[in-house]
Amino acid sequence: MARYLALRVAQSLLTVFLIVSTVFVLVRLAPGDPAAAIGGPTATTADLQAIRDELGLVGSIPSQYWHFVTGLLQGDVGLSYSFREPALDVVLERLPYTITLAGAATVLTALIAIPLGIFTARRANSSWDVGANIGTIAGQSMPEFWTGIMLLTLLAVVVPVFPASGFTSWSGLVLPAVTIALLQIALISRLVHREMASNLAAPYMTVARSRGVAERALTWRYAFSNSSIAVVTALGTRFAAMLNGVVVVEVVFAWPGIGSLVVRALETRDYPLIQATVLVTSLLAIGVQLLVDLLYPLFDPRVRVGKAVSR
Amino acid sequence: MTTRTQAARPSAVTADRLRASAAALQRRASRLKIVLGAVLTGIVVVPILLANVLPLPDPLEQDLSQRRLPPFTDGHLFGTDQLGRDLLSRVLHGGQVSLTIGVLAVVVSGVVGVIAGAAAGYYGRWVDSVVSRLLEAQMSVPLLLLLLLVVALFGPSITVITLVIAFAQWPEPARLTRAMVLVEREKPYVASARVLGLRHAAVLLRHVVPNIINQVVVVMLLLLAQAVLLESALSFLGAGVERPHPTWGRIIADGQGYITTSWWLVTLTGLVIVLLVVGVNLLGDGLRDRVGRSRPAKGESQ
Repeated sequence: MARYLALRVAQSLLTVFLIVSTVFVLVRLAPGDPAAAIGGPTATTADLQAIRDELGLVGSIPSQYWHFVTGLLQGDVGLSYSFREPALDVVLERLPYTITLAGAATVLTALIAIPLGIFTARRANSSWDVGANIGTIAGQSMPEFWTGIMLLTLLAVVVPVFPASGFTSWSGLVLPAVTIALLQIALISRLVHREMASNLAAPYMTVARSRGVAERALTWRYAFSNSSIAVVTALGTRFAAMLNGVVVVEVVFAWPGIGSLVVRALETRDYPLIQATVLVTSLLAIGVQLLVDLLYPLFDPRVRVGKAVSR
Repeated sequence: MTTRTQAARPSAVTADRLRASAAALQRRASRLKIVLGAVLTGIVVVPILLANVLPLPDPLEQDLSQRRLPPFTDGHLFGTDQLGRDLLSRVLHGGQVSLTIGVLAVVVSGVVGVIAGAAAGYYGRWVDSVVSRLLEAQMSVPLLLLLLLVVALFGPSITVITLVIAFAQWPEPARLTRAMVLVEREKPYVASARVLGLRHAAVLLRHVVPNIINQVVVVMLLLLAQAVLLESALSFLGAGVERPHPTWGRIIADGQGYITTSWWLVTLTGLVIVLLVVGVNLLGDGLRDRVGRSRPAKGESQ
């Protein structure tokens, strides 16, 4: 257990290191002088020097890197230009909203995708199944920002059921969460379908059936139990990709999370703020995945954390 | 064909039963997907390719007296936008940007992914460790923000956006190639080729990769759909190819403010994206079913 835990944490740290280094390299590879871009045409030489200082763009590359990393370890990624306060604080202030939205979308996905996948798997190749298949392909093909605007217009403007934007009440959570979940449901329900179909066709099912186990129990206690680990894994690994959708959807719904923040940061060329959002969201996704990995034994007692997993 | 030979032979398996069998149903479903996908893709792609030839107004020509005309007025099939520009023309020219970026990105990510994946699967050891760690690292973080940072730093040119999308997509072909090469390299023909004196690189490029490339190419079609979606999301967020080029994401972002009075700006543009992406996805999905199924038979005949 301890060894597995150490290995996974080391792996996560390696990912964090790669991301941090990528951001560091990118900012220095960029053509032109970022300080000039931030300072604008009226900046004096002293202004530019001050901005470079603040960005950590002075000294040799190794010493810049050292300052960058030590700064990070102290939770310092620089001052946000538009907010005039530490970029990390600005991002962390918005983080709970993003987590709420992502969490709601995940719950919604699980509640719909799992039953849908099981239903179609039990009727493999029927017209229900083909219909659901084409439906999920359509679900994967809609740009989230477009679906969001459409839902918003139909259900908040034309028929005002939900609030149009922002986070004024809990009902404001519904439309953005549904928008994000549509794509996830399409992807996860196919995965549930595949896993269930292969488990339903396994020989142990025939044995159990011949011994008189009820169909309901066969589906849930046998096939689904064995599929659940793959589903949980997918929900975990897809979390990072889902955060991409959250960013876009937040912009559509003016949700006060990280996504709407980053678009503003882009407009004002607020590099420290963009860096901070990259770091915080990466850490969040890596953390969620680590957590999911450690939860495996709950879903599948055959997996003893620390032993090799055949999957 | 199989149906007829089977039915002519006295057998308990009737033609009806064969037609209802899982394999036949699956085959019919994949054919339906391929046909439907090809039709939908064609409906969108052909006009986009012909956009410069079709008798359409210039996508940049403004006419402030013709602002926000609804569809089907004054020869504007899709209506006009907030500056009086013809929406259909803008959508088609935006499609040229999207498709150019999408196709280029998929080619770049495919080449990089296949090389990296094939090397990782074939050589194993440290090559595999490096590639696999990179893949894991990249898949475990939300890339969109990093991509936005890159576009902000390097400028929103077609080259930068293409490379950014290619970077986001290389893990998919790389993982697939790696997994297939892992299986392939254990097959006897690899050992035979080695015994005949071929070097590893030659075995890999001349024998292993040609055997798996079909399946990778089909998956690349699915990646094209994702590339188009990613490009539109980037331009929606303000990191698209710079003005005055029309891009799908920006047409929608600009039209969002007029949604209650001019529904067509967002709705029609979005529907074009959906049609194209659904078409490409259906086509890719149907072809993947086919390629995947015919593979074992092909392997035996070789």
